[in-house]
Amino acid sequence: MPEENLHKSAIPLLRLHEIHRRFMLGETAIEALNSVSLDIHSGEFLAVWGPSGSGKSTMMNIIGLIDNPTSGEVWFDGRDTRGLNDDELTDFRGHQIGFVFQGFNLVPVLSALENVMLPLQIQGVSEHPARERAMVALIDVGLEKFKGSRPDKLSGGQRQRVAIARALAVEPKLVIADEPTANLDSENSRMVVDLMRDMNRARGVTFVFTTHDPRLLEHVDRKILLRDGNIESDEVTA
Amino acid sequence: MNTIKLAMRGLLRNPRRSVVTLLAIAFGFAAISLFAGYTHNVYDGMARQSIHGELLGHLTLSKRGMSKEGKLDPERYMLKADEVARITDLLQHEAHVKLVAPRLRLSGLISNGRASTIFIAEGISPEAMKELQADAMSEEEKLIYADFIKKLDPIHPENALLSFGLADMLHLKKSNQASLLSNTLTGQANALDITVDGTFNTGNAGSNDKFAIMSLSLTQSLYDTEGGADRLTVLLDDEKQTEAMRKHLQEKLQAAGFDMEIRTWQELSDFYNQVHNMFDMIFGFIFSIVLTVVVMSVANSMGMTVVERTREIGTLRAVGLRRAGVVKLFTAESLMLTLLGCLSGLFITLAVRFGINVAHISYTPPNSASPVPLLVDLDLSHGIFTLILMVAVGTLAAYLPARRASKQAIIDALGHV
Repeated sequence: MPEENLHKSAIPLLRLHEIHRRFMLGETAIEALNSVSLDIHSGEFLAVWGPSGSGKSTMMNIIGLIDNPTSGEVWFDGRDTRGLNDDELTDFRGHQIGFVFQGFNLVPVLSALENVMLPLQIQGVSEHPARERAMVALIDVGLEKFKGSRPDKLSGGQRQRVAIARALAVEPKLVIADEPTANLDSENSRMVVDLMRDMNRARGVTFVFTTHDPRLLEHVDRKILLRDGNIESDEVTA
Repeated sequence: MNTIKLAMRGLLRNPRRSVVTLLAIAFGFAAISLFAGYTHNVYDGMARQSIHGELLGHLTLSKRGMSKEGKLDPERYMLKADEVARITDLLQHEAHVKLVAPRLRLSGLISNGRASTIFIAEGISPEAMKELQADAMSEEEKLIYADFIKKLDPIHPENALLSFGLADMLHLKKSNQASLLSNTLTGQANALDITVDGTFNTGNAGSNDKFAIMSLSLTQSLYDTEGGADRLTVLLDDEKQTEAMRKHLQEKLQAAGFDMEIRTWQELSDFYNQVHNMFDMIFGFIFSIVLTVVVMSVANSMGMTVVERTREIGTLRAVGLRRAGVVKLFTAESLMLTLLGCLSGLFITLAVRFGINVAHISYTPPNSASPVPLLVDLDLSHGIFTLILMVAVGTLAAYLPARRASKQAIIDALGHV
């Protein structure tokens, strides 16, 4: 791990240690991640980039605790996640990690506000405070006027902003965004990255996202290039 | 999470599928409820017919062994006048007891002077008969089936009522004379003249050509037993008390030194039991078919829903919904669908029931001497049972696909297309 990356706090928010992830395609084993080690510190705005099939999404899934490595350790906020059972892992994820997906993944029958409320209500936050907190998140992403609109009435950029609001509503320590701009035009892509950047600065939330678009890398503090399941470069830009 | 709200919205995603499933549940519920309502009406009518129409009362008391050995040794099992009086005295002031009536049944030959045929006569006092028949029919039924209700003349004990077939066979009409020939209690032959006071319908094709009702005093004369009776009929004020009162009266009679056998109207009415068993069997058959249809409809609907929403399940799991939460969500959807289906089924039931009941449809059941009305009751207990069972089964039908969905790996679910 590069020495310059340990610049914020002694305990990283997330530590990947010797991560291997192997998938079986028929009888062929595919090594999606090959001994990846990485520390991510609180407040970082980090992009993972690389060609298709380089292991970006696999790494995001493991960072987001929605997939388990074949071997290796994932430490989150000083805690080894290997000992957690499925329910504990789910609760941990619900409280600590927000997700932004490439395809937005909003619930089509819920309004923008209800979509943002959803993770809060899953956590057991009652209706009224959940509504208030979701409204704040919607205001932060500039979509308060669309609170009653269902996803099919929103543009792609607006949907992704709702998804960002949903990810931020639970006040997570880390937001994972896997190709958040892949389905957006360049103007909306820039808007979404700017928004994530603003949230990172305003709230101190750590953002890790993947992208194909090299133009978006100009906005990040740190960029990690993955190739064939290995970290080829880990560069601090800010 | 507001599971109910999310489940309700989930149902609206594919309205056509939800409506088709809902209709399958609704019509299934309606079919069961209507059949249950019909059988309830049949059971109720048959119970009233047995207790009041056939004059069985609720309880029949006789000396122990009378039902098996009474024909062979009638003297031994006959209740003598003082025994009838003492037992009547003992029972008539008991709670729930409305009437204690001595009865005497005999058989023999009836003649019009030219021809004769067998008869079975039921001896009962005119007053007791009137009280027993008081609740035989609803006011509406009395208008339609007036020929089922006949009264014995208390002033003329020699008057008798003959069943339609019997009167017809001997060409006997009202006020005609007929002769009865029967054995006395001691086995002697005895004969008496009667006056036909009217005819009646027993409601049963098997007994409509041999049954007669006459006053108790007339049968006692023919049987040559002053004040005697072969049994006592007890009428209660509440049918539900039948079993409890049997036990209570048995104990009371035992304590007073009477070794009596008490049988309920259900034990004496074979026809009621046979029909009840048959309808219960048909009900079970229909219920099984409908439940199968409901299970398959719900399972199919929820199975498709789960597949279509795999990606959403992955998203919900990623943002913190536990596996149990996924199961809860889909079973809640199924629960609501089944509940709404049953509610719609209830409305269909009420509408169809109203239509049937105002249409005045009648039919002649097997072994019946005349048509009976086709009426449908609202059977609440069966309705609630059906509702609970259908909701439980419908919810369980969604459980398996929901559980399967919850066990799917999140990354596989998110990658589902």
